[in-house]
Amino acid sequence: MRTAGPALAAALSAIALVACGGSSAGSGGGQSSTASAGQPVNGGTLTAAIPANPDHLDPGLSYATEGWELLEATNDGLLRFKPEAGPAGAQIVPDLATAMPKVSDGGRTYTFHMRANVKFSPPVNRDVEPSDIKFSIERLFRINSGGVGFYTGIAGADRYEKTRKGGISGIVADDKTHTIAFHLTKPDGTFLEYMAIPFAFAVPAGTPNRDISTVAKWRVATGPYMFSQYTPSQSITIVRNPNFHQWTKYTPNGHLDKIQITIGNSPEDAMNEIADGQLDWYFEAVPPDRLAQLRARYPSQVHVYPRNDITYFLLNTRKPPFTNLKVRQAINYATDRTALVKIFGGQGTPTENIIPPSLGAAYKRQWPYPYDLAKAKQLVAESGTKGMTVNVWSHSTDPVPKAAQYMASVLDTLGYKATVKTLSEGVYWDTISTQAGDPQVAFVQFDQDYPEGQDFIDVQLNGERITNVGNQNTSNFDDPAINRQIDAARAMPLGAARDAQWVKLDREIMAQAPWVPFLNRTLPKFDAPNLHGLVFNGTYYEMFPEMWLSK
Amino acid sequence: MSVQAPQLPILPDVTPAEPGVDVGTWRAAWRRLRHNRAAMAAGIVFLGIVLWCGPLAPLWVHFVSHRGPNVQNLLGTISVGGHRVPVVSAQGTPIGPGLRGQYLLGADSNGRDLFVRVLYGGRTSLTVGIASALLCTFLALLLALPAGYYRGAVDRGVSGLMDLIWSFPVYLLAVAISATLIVGGLDIGPIKISSSSLLIPIFVIAVVFIPYIARPIRGEVLALREREFVEAAIAHGAGPLRVMAREILPNVAATTLVMFTLIIANNILVEAALSFLGVGVSVLTPSWGNIIQEGYGTIVTAPWQTIAPGIAIMLTAISLNVLGDGLRDALDPHGSGRTGGR
Amino acid sequence: MSAWRFWLRRLVSLIAVLFALSVIVFVIFNVIPGGDPALRMAGRHPTPQLIANIRHDWGLDKPLWTQYLDMMNRLLIKRNLISYQNQTEVIPTIVRAIPKTLSLAIGAAVIWLGFGVLFGVLSGLNQGKWVDRILTVLAMAGISTPIFWLGAVLLYLLTFVWHSFFLFSWIPSGGYVPLTVSPLQWAEHLILPWICLSVVSMGFYSRVVRSSLLEVQSADYVRTARAMGLSRRRVLLRHTLRTALIPLTSLFALDFGAAVGGTVILIEPVFGINGVGAYAQQAVSQLDLPPLMALTLYGGFFIVLVNAVGDVIFTRLDPRIVVG
Repeated sequence: MRTAGPALAAALSAIALVACGGSSAGSGGGQSSTASAGQPVNGGTLTAAIPANPDHLDPGLSYATEGWELLEATNDGLLRFKPEAGPAGAQIVPDLATAMPKVSDGGRTYTFHMRANVKFSPPVNRDVEPSDIKFSIERLFRINSGGVGFYTGIAGADRYEKTRKGGISGIVADDKTHTIAFHLTKPDGTFLEYMAIPFAFAVPAGTPNRDISTVAKWRVATGPYMFSQYTPSQSITIVRNPNFHQWTKYTPNGHLDKIQITIGNSPEDAMNEIADGQLDWYFEAVPPDRLAQLRARYPSQVHVYPRNDITYFLLNTRKPPFTNLKVRQAINYATDRTALVKIFGGQGTPTENIIPPSLGAAYKRQWPYPYDLAKAKQLVAESGTKGMTVNVWSHSTDPVPKAAQYMASVLDTLGYKATVKTLSEGVYWDTISTQAGDPQVAFVQFDQDYPEGQDFIDVQLNGERITNVGNQNTSNFDDPAINRQIDAARAMPLGAARDAQWVKLDREIMAQAPWVPFLNRTLPKFDAPNLHGLVFNGTYYEMFPEMWLSK
Repeated sequence: MSVQAPQLPILPDVTPAEPGVDVGTWRAAWRRLRHNRAAMAAGIVFLGIVLWCGPLAPLWVHFVSHRGPNVQNLLGTISVGGHRVPVVSAQGTPIGPGLRGQYLLGADSNGRDLFVRVLYGGRTSLTVGIASALLCTFLALLLALPAGYYRGAVDRGVSGLMDLIWSFPVYLLAVAISATLIVGGLDIGPIKISSSSLLIPIFVIAVVFIPYIARPIRGEVLALREREFVEAAIAHGAGPLRVMAREILPNVAATTLVMFTLIIANNILVEAALSFLGVGVSVLTPSWGNIIQEGYGTIVTAPWQTIAPGIAIMLTAISLNVLGDGLRDALDPHGSGRTGGR
Repeated sequence: MSAWRFWLRRLVSLIAVLFALSVIVFVIFNVIPGGDPALRMAGRHPTPQLIANIRHDWGLDKPLWTQYLDMMNRLLIKRNLISYQNQTEVIPTIVRAIPKTLSLAIGAAVIWLGFGVLFGVLSGLNQGKWVDRILTVLAMAGISTPIFWLGAVLLYLLTFVWHSFFLFSWIPSGGYVPLTVSPLQWAEHLILPWICLSVVSMGFYSRVVRSSLLEVQSADYVRTARAMGLSRRRVLLRHTLRTALIPLTSLFALDFGAAVGGTVILIEPVFGINGVGAYAQQAVSQLDLPPLMALTLYGGFFIVLVNAVGDVIFTRLDPRIVVG
């Protein structure tokens, strides 16, 4: 999963990467400062900080928000998400490709024409070729990247994953004509999304089959910035890429000359440093504890962004009492979302849906389970499951155990015997995603990989995806009719019709209540007063090329 | 971590007590202890803490707070100075302390009564502290008595084991063991311990601190073994078990009692540390360490949740340490050979 | 016992300790079902083949003893052990963290030794007076303090509540600045962690020094010296204190080893110092075996080594004692 933060001392730090903010989601709050500050100014050094090393500075391996934030500034794929906030930022536009791909063969073949004269940064200094793209995708399989799951739909990828010899037959790159074609085993509208996330960013052919985060020679950029220095646990320096020239309006030049990142500042420390003017920008959220105080003292410097996130408790539909629909519905009725939002410091919006509304206008909020304890108790009585033992799983990063304890109290109120089990976050996700781990109720926080309904519905609720280990359908929800609809929706091209299908599925699945969704989190940030151009994209988060410093 | 030696105050004398410690000796010691005002005050404080956390806690809940330690109240309100205020604000900030029956020390993030939780948390912390101290002392005696009695190979084996545990980075090991146990629980043959069981911290803490008790006792036993009354017992045909139980054990009882008192204080501190690191007592059971751990995330907006249980821990540990000090003085009036550490 | 035999014995016990430690850590992580590292590395959309590939590439499909030997080989001989989490190299990370931890531990040791002895002497010379009583209460409180709690509360009070008060406004809310960059900032950042790490030992040492002092003062040779007309101060400094300090040396070695090898796990995360303790804490919370293995061995090594050095000093100070 895309982790919400670098692995820092999770159990101890009050850091709570789960931070959010109180303003209404979907407002794209980040742009206010741009509007007030007038025309962007070029130049200057952004002084930034991060609490721990970013996971990887290797596009093939990075699977955390901090890594993607950095790589958005340095690297490119064939496509990218529009560098904008809110639903507009979910639109896919060409990047290294000259235009959107030609789709043929009934949605099974995507043919891209690539831009000439895009150069890799020093020391490689040569043009980016279609063969580099093919190399980059194949490299994922050779380095056991967490991203291979996105690309196994390419013909021949399965075989290549086993043998790791001879290349993926379904990727046909032609450097002479500057084209590259992808042949899929079956139609998949989401393929465009997969080509816009950092796993598909281009690295030069010949890049070694290992993490290049600390290998300066191979840490090569195509975008406006490049990494000039990285010393783990100390600092990262990002400078302008001398070989970069702007090729579309979606690949901005960038205003800053340099980004100097120190590693190891705790959130509390960073907040004080920003307040004292020693720091411009911090990777992580405002600690929930500090938000009220900062907001009161520095109202114009606190920004709250809606994340494409769903936070929920799963109900394992294979484990009694949750095999019973009435029980699952009862718990949804008995859960007061406003109580849970309080536990999360009021930083987010309550929800009873699967897909977050920040994904687009199509995804309007619906409230299928208004709080109704009497009805819940009656449903439990009808199910005849009262008195059973229920284990609620949570990880130990504050305030998640508190939310789990609230769920336990809800279950107790309904007549069950609830216990809570906490695991450290580092092992929690793997443990709940194996059948042996076997939770009955478990906390899940799902940050999108790409801004599309499929990432929420298909990935987490398609019964055909249930596996023994690495299971993403953690509630083991399996309804053949729903599965068929999901498969049909996946094959559809991106657009309004497809969105409507996800909305319908959201409603139908929630009627069966495999989850207790309760929160769409927001991301509160605290920045220097002279920092502008803060644009929060749901996938890349805040984008460095948009930022600028006023004098 | 250095809970190692430092948190065990002055280790008692390693020279053995006079042979034949009898009722008279204990009575004399009690007389001396009674005249040690600091120790008596500490004993009373400790007794008070035990009373408050034990029998008085349910009474407080029943007659005053009307809310048990685990009753949450995220959406309720409470009357403060004639106004209704929410127990937990919309931003998740719980109400602070105030002179009233309910929420005397304020609420925690789930709207539970912090004062009641500190009382019940004390039950857990004292249980873990005392139970692990008992287990630790028992295991230490089990190792130290034969080592000192048989000497030779047995002694070398036990001493080697002690050296080994002694050299371990204690906290790292305790944390590592707890972390893994909490994921899977323990399931070896007939022994099944659920991952949320109190037995896990009790067991881990007990094992790790065995050397602190076993080493000085082994020293005493070694010296006692040379004494005439022990040799005489053996010459009269008493078996090793009998000699250890009847002749040696009573003579190390004083040291053991002092060590036991001191290690309870130590273990309460260790429990708090483990819970703070997230590998101690399971979250549904309040313990002082747990309450601090939960409160730490909101120390800026709700500092009392961190501060109050910490003060409770300090009070308990101080009272036990002073009491232990007094006990040692009472049992060893000459106060010779007070070497610290090993 | 000759010096080389002493060191040989220590070396043997060091190896025994490290071997036992490594086996224990390895066994608990493999016997008890925890996080499967292959799953952790496979990410959010793992394919079964990807999991199998990772198992194979990392040797997780081999027998346990092979895995153990391989890990030891990578740690001690090849020195290229890689963590499961984010696949970073373990040894350079520890090497980068050691200066921070040593800065913390040495500073704290100076404080606890200095003030512990000072308070102990004051207490002992004024037995029964109010100075002694106050210092005794403070010492008892120090011994009974949960240090992580003290750190959290001090940080809250000094850097948040009273941050604007001029006496405390210079105190940073955590972090670390290398000594080579700015000695002043180095000390500013470490002052609170030093205090927290030293309170327990400070209280303990002052009690030990106090009782040794009382004991030695009644010893014959001290009485003789006083009878010969030497001043009280002179007797104290020349004879009493020296003898009283002897038991402290081995105690100090033990505590210092324990601090560097472990206690920092409670202090560093509270103060945001990315030292060995914070790394250990992180490794524990992620059940990340490779760094945990390296850190446990590092801790064990340090404790055994420092204790051996302490014993040598102990012998030098008091020739009557033979360390065996």
